Amino acid sequence: MTKDEMKEKITEILEDIDDSIDYASEEHLIDDHILDSFAIISLVGELEDEFDIKVSAVDMVASNFNSVDDMAQMVERLMA
Amino acid sequence: MAYNQLPYLAIFLPAVLIAYKLTPAAYRKYTLLASSWIYFYLCSQYLLLYLVGTTVFVYLLGLAMEKFPLKSAPRKALCGIGIAGLFGTLLYVKYTNFFIKIINTIGSAGTGWHNIPGLHILVPIGISFYTLEAVSYLLEVDWGRAGSDHDFCRVALFLGFFPQTMEGPIARYQDTAMQLTQGEDLHLNNIRDGAIRIVWGLFKKMLIADRLNTAVGTLFTNYTQYHGSMIAISGVFYALQLYMEFSGVMDIVIGSAQMFGIKLPENFRQPFFSQTAAEFWRRWHITLGVWCKTYIFYPVTTSDAAKKWNKFARKKYGKYIAKVTISAMALAPVWMFNGLWHGPQWNYIFYGIYYLVLLELEEVLEPVKKGFYKKTGLSKDSWFWHLFRILRTWLIIFTGEMFFRANGLRAGLAMFRSIFYQFHISSMWDGSLLKLGLDAWDFAVIILGTATVFVYDLLKEKDIHVWELVSQKKTPVRWALVYCLVFAVVIFGAYGAGYQKVDLIYAGF
Repeated sequence: MTKDEMKEKITEILEDIDDSIDYASEEHLIDDHILDSFAIISLVGELEDEFDIKVSAVDMVASNFNSVDDMAQMVERLMA
Repeated sequence: MAYNQLPYLAIFLPAVLIAYKLTPAAYRKYTLLASSWIYFYLCSQYLLLYLVGTTVFVYLLGLAMEKFPLKSAPRKALCGIGIAGLFGTLLYVKYTNFFIKIINTIGSAGTGWHNIPGLHILVPIGISFYTLEAVSYLLEVDWGRAGSDHDFCRVALFLGFFPQTMEGPIARYQDTAMQLTQGEDLHLNNIRDGAIRIVWGLFKKMLIADRLNTAVGTLFTNYTQYHGSMIAISGVFYALQLYMEFSGVMDIVIGSAQMFGIKLPENFRQPFFSQTAAEFWRRWHITLGVWCKTYIFYPVTTSDAAKKWNKFARKKYGKYIAKVTISAMALAPVWMFNGLWHGPQWNYIFYGIYYLVLLELEEVLEPVKKGFYKKTGLSKDSWFWHLFRILRTWLIIFTGEMFFRANGLRAGLAMFRSIFYQFHISSMWDGSLLKLGLDAWDFAVIILGTATVFVYDLLKEKDIHVWELVSQKKTPVRWALVYCLVFAVVIFGAYGAGYQKVDLIYAGF
């Protein structure tokens, strides 16, 4: 899977959780309190299923979830 | 020596600043540590040993953990021993008598164990706060997000930096530790900005919170003598008092640290503009919320058991049920902990359960809410719904704070019941409010003071920072505004004859 495909899939998952956000332009989803911790729980479950990764408490930091780019980077790291 | 009192503001803090300035940069961390431990000793005398003991314990465990690879069993075991030791001490100091009381109550119902005498245990100042910081340090080291610190002084300052001793904020090791030992030179700008922040904190605490204290004390002590409307007012008054007091003290704390060039995390972000209970807790006592989220909520939701359930529930019952149940699973320990952390009282536990139920309800009703907006075509961002949600959240906050402040759960429940009886709105103007130990002048100061803080918060909510604007003004204008604030505190502050000395509320937790 290319990185662009990965980002596309992540955006799809995010839109399923809340479709009122423009994920392409947001870079502070957590810092600006756009996504809350309940949304993050759903997101983590979906990411784990989709990419067959294991997200642990250690990965639960804002810098991993602030943008689609950040999430893709985390997924890539966890897939390696 | 509370942060709002003259011995701290006029003697201790200036003395530390001078000593810090006179010390060579490389040794300034020792000046800060000596000052911090002296401050602790002045507050809690020989109970300083608890803090020193905790520091040595955590420091050595950090070093020991470093010897084992990440995720290895010995590393995890050492972290576990550390957390058990830290919470064990906190439980012993704060909760022993609570548990003895429970055993005695159960015993008097037939088991025969009902005569265990209570223990006389002295509680060191700030133990609830530095314990959470110590646990945070151990977990961050265990997870590999922070390295084991070889500098004992830095660990000691992280746990005991004097402005944070009494009421936090509960910092994360990575956010403050390095700053504490940098020996940054004193800068006039930092001292000026820190001093203004301190005066602003004094304004909130001394004009509003300490003045409200008399009325709050009267209402909560004699609640049986008041009818519903006055009881409802007690919740409003206490919420206001607690906000002005706690956020005011945080201004003093953060301002004190700022003078040394140290940036502590913020604990409040205009909480009364929250539109939901969940949002309120992201804006109120932020560092406690972040601690609970980082070290309880996320570890529970990312645990194997939770993930297994999540997977199963999503397949079997759908995403909605999975999300709601996982939320409940993670919120329950968070809110039980939050309630108990405040102290060994049933009303604190009830307070935790109260928010647990409300937050879970918000999650459960999310689709109903979405459906409502979709069906009616109403915009959730319209000013009407915005205001409606803020006012609804106020009701939730006021009710919660009433239970929180009540003299026991029984009293809290009785007060809540009485709100629905004999609710006379006329209490607002028939003179009842003037029988609470406050006169019309006091209320005028409270209303004007609150209005000032409201405007300040409103501007901040709009991303307009008053002190940044003020600092861009010409010198006479700047000084005039600062003088106004100082004179307001000196002239209208509730202190001296006619006022009771008010202890810091959160220092008691």
